[in-house]
Amino acid sequence: MRISSSILYLGLIPGLWLITCTLILGLPQLRLETFLISPSDAGRAGGLLSIIISTLLILTITLVISVPLASATALAMTYFRRYFLKLSRLLSLSLDVLSAIPSVIFGLFGNVLFVEKLNLGHSILSGGLTLAFMILPTMVRTLESSYHEIEKGYAKTTEALGINFSTFIYQIVFPLGLPALIFATILGMTRAMAETAALLFTSGYSDRMPESVLDSGRSMSVHIYELAMNVPGGDKNAYLTAALLVFILLTINSAITYFGYHLNKRLGIL
Amino acid sequence: MRLLIVLYLFTFNVFAIDKIHLTGSSTVAPLMTEIAKAYELKNDNIRIDVQTGGSTKGVVDTRKGRNEIGMASRAAKSSENDLIFHTLALDGIAIIVHKDNPTQNITKSELITIYTGKQKQWPHNSKDISIIHKAEGRSTQELFLAYLGLKNSQIKADIVIGDNEQAIKTLMNLPNGVGYVSIGTAEYHESIGTPIKRIQLEKITASTKNVKNASYPLSRKLSLVTKKDIPDHVKHFLDYSLSNEHEELIKGLYFVPLK
Repeated sequence: MRISSSILYLGLIPGLWLITCTLILGLPQLRLETFLISPSDAGRAGGLLSIIISTLLILTITLVISVPLASATALAMTYFRRYFLKLSRLLSLSLDVLSAIPSVIFGLFGNVLFVEKLNLGHSILSGGLTLAFMILPTMVRTLESSYHEIEKGYAKTTEALGINFSTFIYQIVFPLGLPALIFATILGMTRAMAETAALLFTSGYSDRMPESVLDSGRSMSVHIYELAMNVPGGDKNAYLTAALLVFILLTINSAITYFGYHLNKRLGIL
Repeated sequence: MRLLIVLYLFTFNVFAIDKIHLTGSSTVAPLMTEIAKAYELKNDNIRIDVQTGGSTKGVVDTRKGRNEIGMASRAAKSSENDLIFHTLALDGIAIIVHKDNPTQNITKSELITIYTGKQKQWPHNSKDISIIHKAEGRSTQELFLAYLGLKNSQIKADIVIGDNEQAIKTLMNLPNGVGYVSIGTAEYHESIGTPIKRIQLEKITASTKNVKNASYPLSRKLSLVTKKDIPDHVKHFLDYSLSNEHEELIKGLYFVPLK
C-alpha cells in the first residue's frame, strides 16, 4: 500500500517539474505591458495582447461549435444504440479512428477545405472550425461512453416506470451526464489551446490585432513555436508565452473542475 | 461572449482595403512581418498578411496566384524563370572557435571530417574537439548541412543548441570547441570582447563584407518572389521592402543588408 502510494507521488514529479520550470523561466519577463500592447520587433519586444485575443477567439469559436455538436451527437448515438446496434458500433469505431489522426492532418484538411475551397483564407474562423473538427471525435467518444453507462444503469428502472425512451434520454441521461460534458469540454479545450500544427496552416502567422474573425491571428502556441524556432533571441518571450499558456490552462481547468464539483454535489452524485 | 462573436463577424471593413498576401520561408517571415508593420503605419488602406510554410510553398503559391509576394531563403532555380526573384537581404554563417584556439583557416573537407566525427582532435594540442551543432529546424543548420552536403543523422555532435546566442555562450567555456553562428552575431560578439573568434573558411574571412560581395562560400540570398507583372499597390510595397530603409531590422535578425 505504501509503495503504491509513493509511486503515485513519483508520478506527480515530472508534471510539477515541467510546470514549475516553465513558470520560473517565463514569469520574470511578465510586465503590465504584456497584456496591454501587441508584439513588436518580431515578437522580441512588446506585449502579447493580440496573441491572447486571437487565442481566445479561436478557442471560443471552437467550443461554440464543438460542444453543442458533440453533445447532440453523443445523445443521438445513445438513442440509436437501442435500435441500430451494428451501425452505432461502426460509428464508434470510426470515431476512435478519427481521434487517433495526428493534428497536422486536420490542419491540412482545414487548409484545403476552409482556407482554399470555402475561401475563408488564413483566418481565425478557419482555425476555430479546424480545431472544432479536431476535438469533436474525442469529445463525442467521452460523452457517449458516459451516456451509455448512465443509460445501462437506469434503463430497467425507467422501463418499469413506463417512462418514454426519449424522455428518459433528455430528462435523465443528459442531466446526469453534465459532469461528463464538463470533462469532455476541458479535454477538448486543452487540446485546442495546445495545438500548433493544425493552426499554422489555418489561422496563420500574422501577429497583428485581429479586426474580425476573418483576419489571420497567431495563437499562443504558434507564437511560442515561432519565437523558439525562427527568431534569434526570441527565447525569453517564448518562455513568457509558454508560462502564460500554462497559467491560463491551469486557471480554466481548476475553475471548471470546481464548478463541476459543486454541480455534482447539487445533482447528488457525490 | 456570443454577442462578441456576432459583433466580430459583422465588423467587416466597409471601405476598400487592399490586401497583400505573403507566404513562404519561415526565415524571411519575421523580417517581412516587421517591414509590413512599418508599411501599414504609413499606408492606412493596406493590410499585409504574412504566412509561413517554407520557401517551396512561397514559390509555388506565387506561381499559382495564391499570394502576391512569395518569400524564399534562396536564389532562383533554373526551373523558376517564369518568376522574378528580388534579393531582400543576405545570410551568412561563420565558423567559430574559442579565442585561445590558434587555428586560422578551415576547409570544407576538414569541416566534414570534424562534424562526421572522423577527426576527433585538434592538431595543435591533441585535445578532443567539442562539436557544437544546431537543433533541427534552424535555418542556419539547414544552410550548414546543405553546404557540407551532409544529412543531420551523419553529424556526430557533442552539444546540440538552439539559437546563435546559446552557441556563443557554450563556446566561451569550451577552449576546444567548434561551432557555427550567423556572421552578424559573431561580428557583434567579437566587437564586445567575447572570447570567441571567426576562422576563415577556404581562406576567406567570414565577414559581412565578404557576404555582400559574394566571395564567402557559406551564404545564401533571402528573396521576395513575384510574377512578372504585378498590380501597382503590390509594386509599391515591394519597392518599399527592397529599399535601404530597413538596415536596422535586417541587422536585428542577424542578416546582412545588401548595401
